[in-house]
Formats: sequence, C-alpha cells, structure tokens
Amino acid sequence: MAELSDIQNEFVRQEIEEYIEREGERQHIIDLFAPTKPSMQAIAAALLDGQHHTVDKLTRAALDDNVGALEVMDNGLIAGMAIVGIKFRENFIFVPEVLACARAMKAGMAHIEPILSASGIQPIGKVIMGTVKGDLHDIGKNLCIMMMRGAGFEVIDLGVDTSSDDFIDAVEEHEAGLVGMSALLTTTMPNMGRTIEAFIDADLRDDVKFMVGGAPVTPEFAEDMGADGYGDNAVECVDLAKRLLAAEAADT
Amino acid sequence: MEKIDREEFEKRLARISDLFADMVQHADEQSKTRCPYKNRFNQCTAKFGCQNKRPPRASESLPACVSDDALDYRGAWEANPQGYEEMRDQLQSDSSAVSSEGGGPRVICGDQQCSAVEGRTIFDCADQLSVAVPTSCGRHGHCHECVVQIKSGMQALSQPTEAESFLRDNYRLACQAVIQKTESDIEFTLLRRSPRILTSSVRRQVEREPMVRRQGDEVLYGGEVIDHYRGHVYGLAIDLGTTTVAAELVDLESGNVVYEVSFENPQRFGGSDIMHRISYDGGEANGELHRAIINTLNAEIRSFCAQLPVTRHEIYEIVVVGNSTMRDIFFNLDVQSIGQKPYKSSIENEYLNGNRDSTELVELARTFRLYTNRNARVFGVPLIASHVGADVTANLVAMDVSSQSDVFLLVDAGTNTEVVIGTSDRLIAASCPAGPAFEGGVVTYGMPGCDGAIESVRYDAKARRFDYKTIGDGPPQGICGSGLIDLLAELRRYGIMTPKGVFADKARELEIVSDYGITLSRKDASELAQAKAANYCGQIILMRKFGVKPSQIHKLFLAGGFANYVDSGSAIDIGFLAPVPTDRIVKLGNAALQGARELLLSQSRRRAIGKVVQSIEHVELETMSDFFEVFVEGCQFKPMDYSE
Repeated sequence: MAELSDIQNEFVRQEIEEYIEREGERQHIIDLFAPTKPSMQAIAAALLDGQHHTVDKLTRAALDDNVGALEVMDNGLIAGMAIVGIKFRENFIFVPEVLACARAMKAGMAHIEPILSASGIQPIGKVIMGTVKGDLHDIGKNLCIMMMRGAGFEVIDLGVDTSSDDFIDAVEEHEAGLVGMSALLTTTMPNMGRTIEAFIDADLRDDVKFMVGGAPVTPEFAEDMGADGYGDNAVECVDLAKRLLAAEAADT
Repeated sequence: MEKIDREEFEKRLARISDLFADMVQHADEQSKTRCPYKNRFNQCTAKFGCQNKRPPRASESLPACVSDDALDYRGAWEANPQGYEEMRDQLQSDSSAVSSEGGGPRVICGDQQCSAVEGRTIFDCADQLSVAVPTSCGRHGHCHECVVQIKSGMQALSQPTEAESFLRDNYRLACQAVIQKTESDIEFTLLRRSPRILTSSVRRQVEREPMVRRQGDEVLYGGEVIDHYRGHVYGLAIDLGTTTVAAELVDLESGNVVYEVSFENPQRFGGSDIMHRISYDGGEANGELHRAIINTLNAEIRSFCAQLPVTRHEIYEIVVVGNSTMRDIFFNLDVQSIGQKPYKSSIENEYLNGNRDSTELVELARTFRLYTNRNARVFGVPLIASHVGADVTANLVAMDVSSQSDVFLLVDAGTNTEVVIGTSDRLIAASCPAGPAFEGGVVTYGMPGCDGAIESVRYDAKARRFDYKTIGDGPPQGICGSGLIDLLAELRRYGIMTPKGVFADKARELEIVSDYGITLSRKDASELAQAKAANYCGQIILMRKFGVKPSQIHKLFLAGGFANYVDSGSAIDIGFLAPVPTDRIVKLGNAALQGARELLLSQSRRRAIGKVVQSIEHVELETMSDFFEVFVEGCQFKPMDYSE
C-alpha cells in the first residue's frame, strides 16, 4: 500500500490531502499516483489547476520524450480528471472549474489525436455544436461538448449567439454530418427551427442531422421544428449523437 | 510514430465517459439550487447579463455574483444580448451617477438623473442610474418586487399593464412602466429607502437560554435535532412596523448583535395605515402584502449573507413582533376581522373561544419561503388584544414590566399608537389609530426619518424664519415626526397658529423653508391635529381608567418610530404627551426590536411575558361614552388639560 509521501508532485499531494476525505477513495488515488512518473504527475497537476497551456506544453514534451500515449492518458490526464471528479462531487469546485479542467484535458488530447489517426483510429464522428442566435447561455452546451469529446467525438464548438449562416458555414467547412443546437430561453428556442429552415433553403438539410436540447426544449418541440433528435441531458446527448450518426450512415 | 491498440484506447474512452457522466449528473443536480455560472469564488463566469452580477471585488478580475443558492437564480438572468452589452458597459464604467448630456426631459431618482428615452422602462433608467431596484423574476412583472412611486410624470408613462392591477395611485412596477412621451420629466422613488436605523438604545445583556442551541455537533430547537452544527447559530429579531421595519441578526451563542438593518415597509403600495392594508388584503390582491414583506426580507438576508461570513443555513429562528395586522399578514393569516368591530384577529378569537392556549404563533420558516435554514422556525410574539399587538408585548419585555412597582405609562407612538398604563400588578392597554401623519403620510411635506428629513425646528423670531436641522445634514426634502412636533410647538409658542390650527392672518399655507419650497398647509395641520388627538385620547382615557393624574406617573416610557427623537417639551406643549416632569420621560429607542431580541435569547422571558399578556385588560377607546368629546378636545394644539 502506497503512502501519500510516495507521490513526488507537491501540488498533487496537497490536492489529495486537502480534498479527498473518504478513506478508501484516498488510498485508491494514492495507489494510482504513487508509481507514476513525475512528468505525468505534472500533467495531472496542471490539469487539476485548469492550466490548459501548461498541459499542452507538458504533454508535447512527454510524447517527444517517448512516453507512450496511453500512459499519458492514464497517468496524466485521466488520473488528474479523477481528482477533479471527486472535488466536484464534494462541492469544493463548481461547473466553471470543471469546464476549465475539461479544456485542459482537451489541450492534452490534441497531441494524442495524430497518433490515433496514424494508428487507424478515427474519431467516431464529427459534430458542430452551438447555442442559437440571441442566446448567450452556454453551460449546458459546454457540458454536452465535454461528454462528446470524452466519448471520442470530434466537436467543433461555435460558441454562443450562433447565426444560421455560422452553422451552415461550419458544416460546409468541416464536412460535418451532425449539428447540435442548444437554447435556454423560450424566446430563442424558435431560432432552432429557423436554423433548420435556413439549411432547407440552402439545400443542405439532407446532408445533416440535427439534435437539439436545452431547458425549455421538449421532444414535442423538437419534432415540430423538424429536428432529428432531442437530448434531455448531456449524457443522453452522446447516445443520441451515436444513433443519429448510425442513421446518417444508413441513409447514405 | 507509435501505434495505439484500438481496444486499449476504447477502454480509456469508456473510463473518461464514466467520469464525465458522474460529473454531468452532479452538475444537473446542483443546478437546481446553485447557478452553474458561479465559480468556487462566487464570481460570475456568464457571458450574459444577470441581476446578480456586481462589479469585481477588490483585486479580482471576474464580476462578483451576489446570488446565494436561492430557489431560482434563473429569474435574474438577462434574456437578450443587448442586456448583456449594457450590463458589461455598466460594470466597466461603474459610474455612480450618469449625468446626461444636453437638455430635454429627464428621468430623476434622488439626486441622479438621465435622459428620458422613449421605449425605455423605468427599470432600464434605474439601471442607467445605478439605482438598485429589487427584482427576482427577470423583469417580467411576476415577482411584484420592483414597485416604484412615480412622483411626477405619470402621464408620460404607458398605461398600467395587467401585471400591475394590484397597484393604485402613482405606484408602478418599474419593469412595466414604459416611457411613452418625452415631454416632461419623470421622477420616481424606490419604496425601499433606508430610514435612520432605530437600534435599541439599551443593549442589556440577557440570560442566554435560546430555543435554538448547539449541542456538540448538533443544533437543537427545544429538544429536537434540526441540523448539524455549521459553525454558528443565528437568530433574527424583526420589528414589523406599519411604516418601517427593523431587524437584527443575533448570534445566539454569544448574544451579540452581528448585523442590524432597517427599511421602509415595502407594503406601502397597499396603503399607508393599517385599515387600508387590511382592506387591500381583503381584495383581489390578497397575499401581495405578505409576499412583499417576505421578498424584501429575503433580499435583506441575501445581502447580509453576501457581506458577512454568515450563511442562511445558520439562521434557525426568527422572532417577529409588530401590531396585530402586521404580524398576522407576515404569517399569511386572514386579517379581515381586525378591520371590523370588535377588531379582533382570527388568532385572538380562537384564543378567546378556548381553541388555542395563547395568541403566540410558531411556524416553519420554509412555509413562507423565508430564506433561512430549512428547519428554522418563526415565532410570532403573542399579541395583547385587538390592535394592541406583539410590538407592545415586546415593549413590555424591553422595559422589564415585572419590575415596575410604581405607576408607569407606556406610549408607543406610530401609525397606530398603543398605550399601556399600570404597575406590575395591574395593566390596562389601548390602541389609538393615529394614522401616518407623523410618519411621513398625508402631510404634504411629511416624510419618514430618512436622510434629508427635517428632524428639529426652532423659530427665529427676529429673523422671522425657521432654523432647522436635517438628518444627515443634507438639504431638506421634507419633515419627519419629531420635526413636525417641534414645528407645531414653535408655531404655538410664537402665536403663528391658534390651538385650533388656524394660521395667523388666516393664511392657507405657511412657508417653512422657502428655499426648498417646504410648506405647511391648513389641511396638514388638521391631519396632524387628528393624529395627535388619537395619542391624546389613549393617554387621557387610560389615566382616568387607572385613576391617576399625570403628576402621579412615575415613569413615561416612550417607544417606537420617531418618539426617540421627539423633544419632550414640544410634545408636552402641544398635548402629544401627558404633562409629566420631563425627567420622568424615558426614551426606550426601538423597544419593540429590543424586546424581540430578548425573546429570541431567552425562553424564560417568553414564558413570563406570556403570562403578563394574558392578564392585561384592554380598553376599547371608542366605546367610552365621552370618547368624541375627548377626541375633539385632543385635536387642539395645547397641553393636555387633566381635570378630574
């Protein structure tokens, strides 16, 4: 059984000391970190701190140093994320911090992607995501993106207040077959339908599937506006995207 | 380049998905009570505007979030991108006053003003002026918190909407009133000005045996465990006046007052005196008054929780005092029977019918959606009879009634004045509907004791002008109760007004401060005469009933409202107070609040005063055969004439 002092990185040690209170869980995390390289612990520490530039730099350096991609994922990124999950569950951090950590994780994964494609592993799909025109709420959409990326999707994030034209341009530029739209307001929800209409007008509707979500959106609204699928939450969003992509593949 | 095994990679993806799925679920759960845009430092990360957003605190870069994990934070979110732009500009400039360039009609609030722009709501203007208008519904007209009084320029505004149907006169919802014509200035005021805080003058130490106490890691209410110990045990003492509300946050472990606040009662839109509030509450707008006071209190609690190292979960008991109507509206009870003969509340009727042991009330705070610990209780201090309410009970606690062996007279002057006479052995109480004339209502230039109110007046006969002092020493905006009493006394002393309120040379109006246009009209004098008469009747009838003369009164306790600032000599000269030697007059300050605090801290005091309350005799002034003659006599501005 490893001791806390077996972990070399001070920041990681402090995080465990400070935030992980359940005994079994604490030991599990210590056992997870104790045998890992200091360079991996440094990646985990930077991820925990939400420092995406640092994660970017350290991951590049580790890979250049011939550390295996799976090891970087296991001992750096995922190990760090495990502590993030515990801190969040115990209300030491909140959604904005979690999203910062997810962004840091993405910075690390970006260096692993070329290795994946060289190994013949492609993303399971490409998705355009955005909050519709007039709407500036992005937390729900960002949690969906975090889930989708975690599940192996390539996600192009158009951010908030996204016009129909922005969605159309992105689909054409990235040749994506799936668009996810989010709205949080009853007043902006109709802009989802308008975006779909804009795709019809641009003669692009048949090339893409639309999935929609957000607090005021219901399955009925989704159907009325002509969307292909509705997700009630970020977890459902992943399954929905997989289903829609399968349907898309069957169509063509 | 290295090769990765697909199966091994997919195992990692599954692990990540599991981790994220747990987080997303937790985020979902948490978002029911906490705004997801609020980070661990209570800063706002939202890209849109929000009512809860404030300029960054010192040395921080993100805006501050002042929402506490309220029931629904979404109401504060701004709906449109323009709202966000405006809010960002406002936060960046953080200018306190926006002086508008050029001429043209203005929108004015206090000493701030901006241009009147067609199509804007009063709320938009308040935003521009950095005037904080309370709201919790995102300005849709649902929460009814943004009530403003339009002092002038009503005709320039849109017609009241459906959402405003509960408002009358010149009251509007700031979110609904849209500027339609830009021809004239529009002046508005918030309902919630901050009156001078009337804190208890005496802060005596009370034995500490509160209902709520800590035992090890637990917090107990009576014998019941209601929470785990969170670091503090707090209670709130609240004095609900018809005109002003004062509250204290008390650390129940040390007995110390941690925070104090007072504000104008937000129920003003339902009328300024009790009878109007009762009839308002009996109409279609039933429940609005209750909601108004709860909402305002919640806003106060949120605000002090944001400033102090206090969370709402640490507030376990709220002790409420106030006249019968105010207390029962707070408890969301039907108050209609208090408004009609024989003026008994439903609670008093139940008590008299033997259906309850006392007139005290205990309710879970969450029943009223009060923003406190989930298991917090509200204790409604027992009322005495009819309009003589829990505030008088609290006064009696504060003046330690059980130790009064000599005859005392207690006068709690307010919109409804209550009088108690007696000794610890026998007590008689009465209430006198004085109306709001001394509290800022009905008198043209009357105002509550806020900054800018003239609080004392002396006549300079040589210069033939009035010297005055205002609260806060700023320019005068009006006259508050103590100033009015001084003014009336000086007018009498210098023969500018007869006892019957007729001005010298039959003038219709007297200039008081000509530079600021402050005047006193015949009608004002007549309103004041009637309010004064109510006070007069209560005192004189009770002295008669108890069989004592003013000279036999050992102590005259003055409580409530403006009484603390009244010049005793002036009050006696116009017959507002019984003519006892001024050294026997004891000003109690806000005795009701002090009593509430003592009841919060001491269970034995609760038990003791409960017994006293049940022994008090109550006199219905109007039922006295010569009430009308006494009242007419009392309308005269001259010392009380006690001949019996």
